[in-house]
Amino acid sequence: MKMEEMSLSGLDNSKLEAIAHEIYTDLVEDACLGLCFEVHRAVKCGYFFLDDTDPDSMKDFEIVDQPGVDIFGQVYNQWKNKECVCPNCSRSIAASRFAPHLEKCLGMGRNSSRIANRRIASSNNMNKSESDQEDNDDINDNDWSYGSEKKAKKRKSDKNPNSPRRSKSLKHKNGELSGNSDPFKYSNSSGINYETLGPEELRSLLTTQCGVISEHTKKMCTRSLRCPQHTDEQRRSVRVYLLGPSASLPEAEGSVENEGFDVSESQAIMSRLQWDGSSDISPSDSASSKASTNNSESRKTKKKKPHLSLVGGTPGLSSSKKKKPKPPAPPTPSIYDDIN
Amino acid sequence: MNKDAQMRATINQKLIETGERERLKELLRAKLIECGWKDQLKAHCKDVIKEKGLEHVTVDDLVAEITPKGRALVPDSVKKELLQRIRT
Repeated sequence: MKMEEMSLSGLDNSKLEAIAHEIYTDLVEDACLGLCFEVHRAVKCGYFFLDDTDPDSMKDFEIVDQPGVDIFGQVYNQWKNKECVCPNCSRSIAASRFAPHLEKCLGMGRNSSRIANRRIASSNNMNKSESDQEDNDDINDNDWSYGSEKKAKKRKSDKNPNSPRRSKSLKHKNGELSGNSDPFKYSNSSGINYETLGPEELRSLLTTQCGVISEHTKKMCTRSLRCPQHTDEQRRSVRVYLLGPSASLPEAEGSVENEGFDVSESQAIMSRLQWDGSSDISPSDSASSKASTNNSESRKTKKKKPHLSLVGGTPGLSSSKKKKPKPPAPPTPSIYDDIN
Repeated sequence: MNKDAQMRATINQKLIETGERERLKELLRAKLIECGWKDQLKAHCKDVIKEKGLEHVTVDDLVAEITPKGRALVPDSVKKELLQRIRT
């Protein structure tokens, strides 16, 4: 630097200016040369004219700049295309209702976490009361558009008259509880852990329930023998696995019973329909319909109570069971107690 | 005169040695892209190439065609700024 300063001092101003200008032109020429190389290479490699298109297609895709219209010239509609598909239950929900729906559907968010907390707290006491809470939650959940809204209404009308009975059945169950120590083995929502059951219990269970063991939860399916989620083949293999090759699927009986029952018990049909409608849907939803079927179930068991008390305690008594409807939903401990 | 040329050579040498020249070049390039000079010149290139035919373009041709245009198209503000940087 010192040398430069020295030399600079030796020059007058105009000369300095000239030198600066020279450097500048040098630089500009450098830049030009760089661009020329670039363009030349692009031409020779054949990608120089790639971004050109023919003029009429350019006109087609011209950007529209007018008020009230998007850049493609389409009218922007505020209320169009605002449906989201729920990733969990794959229903399409209005965007404004999507977040609350997700909250319920996935079991996350403020409200649901409260529900979950309550559920954890009450898991040791009563499965019944817990599902009641869920019911209420579900009634309020009118996320669905049209068709499902009707369903929700139907469910509501179906349930509200039940509520007094529900509490009765609760008491009834409490009374039963003292006599039987079993019920806690069967948690109604998560299926049955088959490892904890004795062979007799297993047998009786498999004559009334689907019983297919889930790969994920290792629990048994607690729905009816004709539950749509599992095939007869699966059911048979489970029975062979658990009871030995002599066990067979009591399929024919099941269908007969179901028909007879269908005629007699309209209430249960209602609940079943409901179940069919929502079987593939959200967990909270299915839990609610489970609860509803449970209601009808427990009411029935009360009616049959005198009869049951005669046969009570002997598992695997299929004669009493045959008169029972097959609940599409997993029976709760209370039902199970009643049956046996 | 001889002394003058020598002086010029030393200055250039100095510029290259200190890396100042690279820095100036980078600055110039950024400025020129920023102000659209590059796009203008590219459009001009396109015209030239179309005129000559795609196959018969040489770098020399391009340089001959482009350089004067490029020099003319440099915005005043960029020129001033660069001269300022060179002087200091």
